[in-house]
Amino acid sequence: MSYFLLLAVNGLVVGLIYALVASGLTLVFSVLKVVNFGHGSLYMLGGYASYYLISGLGLPPLLGVVGAMVTLFVFGVVFERLVIAPMYTDKVERKDEYAIIVTFGLTILITNLALVVFGPFAKSPPSFMTGALIAGPLILPYDRLIAAVAAVVLLVGLSLFLKRTALGQALDAVSQSRESAAVIGIDPKRMYTVAFGLGSALAGGAGALIAPVFALSPSMGDLPAVQAFIIIVLGGMGSVGGSVAGGVLLGLVQALGVGYLPDPNRALAYTQAFGALLLVITLLVRPTGLFGRPHLRLE
Amino acid sequence: MGSLSFSRAVQAVLLAVALLLPLAAGPYWIHVGAIAWYYAMLAASWALLAGFAGQFSFAHVAFAALGGYASALGVGLLGLPVGVSMLLAIVLAIVTGALIGALVLRLSGPYLALFTLAISEIFRLILVAEEDLTRGMLGLPVPGLFSGQSDVPYYYLGLGLVVMAMLAMNWLLSTRVGLFLRAIREDEGAARASGIDTTRYKILVFVVTAVIAAIAGIYYGHFIGILTPNIAILPEMGLVIAMAVIGGIESLPGAVIGAVVVFLLSESLRAYGEWRFVLMGLALILVQRFAQNGLYPMIEQWSRARAKPRAAATVEDRHAG
Amino acid sequence: MEHSIRNHLGALALFALAAVPLASAPALAEDPIQLGWVGPLSPPGNYSGGQEMQWAVQLGVDEINKAGGLLGRQLEVTYEDTKGQPAEGSAAAVRLITKNNVSAIFGEFHSSVALAEIEEAHKYGVAWMGTDVWADDITAKQYPEVFRVSPANSLVYVKAADWTVEQGFKNIAIIAENTDFGQGGAKIIADELQAKNVAHTLATIDLNQQDFTPALLRLMNQSPRPDAIQMVVAGQAQYQLVKQACQLGLAPTAETKLIGSSGLLQKEVWEVDGACAKNLLIVNVAQPKSQWNDKAKAFVAAFTERYKRAPTGVALEAYDTLGVVAEAIRKAGSADRAAIVRALEEIKYEGANATYSFPTTKEPAWAFHQFMDVPFTIIQYTEENQGPEEAAIVYPKNWATTDKILP
Repeated sequence: MSYFLLLAVNGLVVGLIYALVASGLTLVFSVLKVVNFGHGSLYMLGGYASYYLISGLGLPPLLGVVGAMVTLFVFGVVFERLVIAPMYTDKVERKDEYAIIVTFGLTILITNLALVVFGPFAKSPPSFMTGALIAGPLILPYDRLIAAVAAVVLLVGLSLFLKRTALGQALDAVSQSRESAAVIGIDPKRMYTVAFGLGSALAGGAGALIAPVFALSPSMGDLPAVQAFIIIVLGGMGSVGGSVAGGVLLGLVQALGVGYLPDPNRALAYTQAFGALLLVITLLVRPTGLFGRPHLRLE
Repeated sequence: MGSLSFSRAVQAVLLAVALLLPLAAGPYWIHVGAIAWYYAMLAASWALLAGFAGQFSFAHVAFAALGGYASALGVGLLGLPVGVSMLLAIVLAIVTGALIGALVLRLSGPYLALFTLAISEIFRLILVAEEDLTRGMLGLPVPGLFSGQSDVPYYYLGLGLVVMAMLAMNWLLSTRVGLFLRAIREDEGAARASGIDTTRYKILVFVVTAVIAAIAGIYYGHFIGILTPNIAILPEMGLVIAMAVIGGIESLPGAVIGAVVVFLLSESLRAYGEWRFVLMGLALILVQRFAQNGLYPMIEQWSRARAKPRAAATVEDRHAG
Repeated sequence: MEHSIRNHLGALALFALAAVPLASAPALAEDPIQLGWVGPLSPPGNYSGGQEMQWAVQLGVDEINKAGGLLGRQLEVTYEDTKGQPAEGSAAAVRLITKNNVSAIFGEFHSSVALAEIEEAHKYGVAWMGTDVWADDITAKQYPEVFRVSPANSLVYVKAADWTVEQGFKNIAIIAENTDFGQGGAKIIADELQAKNVAHTLATIDLNQQDFTPALLRLMNQSPRPDAIQMVVAGQAQYQLVKQACQLGLAPTAETKLIGSSGLLQKEVWEVDGACAKNLLIVNVAQPKSQWNDKAKAFVAAFTERYKRAPTGVALEAYDTLGVVAEAIRKAGSADRAAIVRALEEIKYEGANATYSFPTTKEPAWAFHQFMDVPFTIIQYTEENQGPEEAAIVYPKNWATTDKILP
């Protein structure tokens, strides 16, 4: 029983962090109707941004996270204005393909640039807090606990922001229908920029929070990106609540899968395949996702 | 003077250059050229799938891996003759292509992209994990096709395959199927309403492109002599996408030229290390941002614009003479 | 507008011309001797290992050239990034041989890539010397051109497995990365433990993954709990394994020892793992400091000064690989390819890490052209921020600085 509990708690904690990674992707998708294939590289940039802010400017670790989010917000806004914005004009014919290609191009660009600029050796910012929480059978490293709590704070903050503030409601309105939003005087284009900036900031924040838990490397974003794709599909592409549920589900499935499948070697080798399989099945059987509202654009 | 004849002329010249290259180039460029044909087949067939039919699939390199591994395992594991093994791999690609095509009928845009990405990852993980069968990352040895030391036979084989694939795809596009595919891309609902059997043609385009990708993979495996699951990693798919998009996603010759140019450039700029891939990412974004149809169609258009005044001038000359 | 486009095209053409290498001119006596290096410098290859190897080689090249070169000619090495991809490796080998006209090829970190490269080396009759590729197959093919400085899997991991048995471990967990290196090493350890009748379990990990907690919890929950965990992981995932095993209180502890591979010798282990790396045991393919000759001391000092980090075993191997090839050229008295291959079979060269020679015995198959006396130690970090050369040596007996393994 305590074994199950240990696996489940660890799965939950990791799942919450996954959910934070996915929430930025969700926000961008719900407002822009674009899957950002560059999300993983923004996550990686966030990790390095916090590393350099902490080690270069001597910021305390949690302020480093905030700094990384600000940096990534600016980056996201600039990228959206320069590259994504033309998509809303008539000049771009195949909008879906356009968005996939430019965001995927961003990944190729940034991942390789990171290798040149940040170098091939692993880096790790200082711990938020060393040691682990030990309560009975439960063992939880503080870094993970803090990352998970921060993830929850950010996710709750995001939900409140979308529901309670004028800007958030405007974003939500655009995500429901850009035409009706325009009718009531909201400029959708401005909201796209805000949403992409926020989505990038969330990716960067997640990367910064995870940096002390794992370590930094130029390719660190590859796997979280795929996991975030899985989560937003599970969660119904476009609801923050859905990504939380999707993230936790994925965290639990992976932890329990590795913990209980009969052949330990295969169980581990196929960890990532579990998630991908969940995605495939969800899209086939219930394309609207397991939770959350129905997809906005699916015939 | 239309762009059509310009395009034909350019293609004829390039084909002639490709045919004559081994006479002039050393073994290194022949080797590089032979690998470039692999990417050319992938980029062109992916352009048909994504550019013409609007099916933005991330699973294309997985089909190449499927072909390569199936052919290698047919020889190594089942003891089949190479030819039979290749045929088996192609049949497998037909079946899998049809299956994937049927599964994704309801999906489009980002959903299709995510679905195929997941399928591709699952397949790659199986290749990694089932090491008893595939030898995992140790790499699966693949027997060569030609005795002797020269890469020239592979070069011409690859070139022949590229030409055949192009002829087959061009023929397909020149029939009604080409029209239907474009109609499906523009508006699937409308296409269906006007009586096009969209199901049939979507599956068809998946099968055709899967077969070409698989043939590319078979060729590649037997040429390099060893296959690892890394043949199907996402960055490889990214390379194919970049090649097709830069050359021209809606132009088969554009995609082939894109593949060859991108690959040769990345080879000759080796001294610049990782900056090559930074540049490639940048090129991908810039081309998509400023020349969505790719560079080859842009050059075609440009030449058409230049050709017109010149044609007029020729007429005048004749009058004068 | 038109003008500016033309300017750009002109620039592009110049760029393309600049990229065409100038190495096609026929070799003159004063021309530098050309050598080719292969190895991973970008993903999916193990680029941090590749980088260290490349640095070590360049250091060696500069030293040789400063001392007047080889046979009165300067030495020039062309570095090829093979990305851990076999196709890149074979293309790199062909390029080096036919375009750069190299006299010999050396380097490489990934066995699957090496296997593709040696086909080309064999085809063209060019010597190929492996720096850190462990698959038995590489020398087992018995190509006359193929030599290896680094150990074969069968050479090191059999010894490592025997050592764990000697230590009286009864229940060993093997965690291997799913690469040529990990799978190859894990199989040899598993076979050896099987032969000695020691219980063991195997877990394969993906290098992209970062969270191994569930897998470690599974090991922790195994009954009986493993008393040793042997990691055959070269990539950075190993740092995560160490950190997570330590945070869970699984290892290294009094009940469970943690044995790792050479990646943990890089100083980043202290940045990422901190106190968790204390008491780590590491399989190290290098001589202990007490055995260093002058060459090794000079190399370590020069490397540390130039690159601001201490070299690990891989760097020493890479430096020696260049040394061996250079010695063969000296002995052959020419940069002729066939002469170098012949000379390599006869040389006895004292490098920084060992004295190298390459036997022509064909039994077992992998022993052909395999350097056999690979120095091999198991070390233990006894203090935080310790460099590998300061760590305690627990194996082999004649070099050991302690007979006690810390908890």
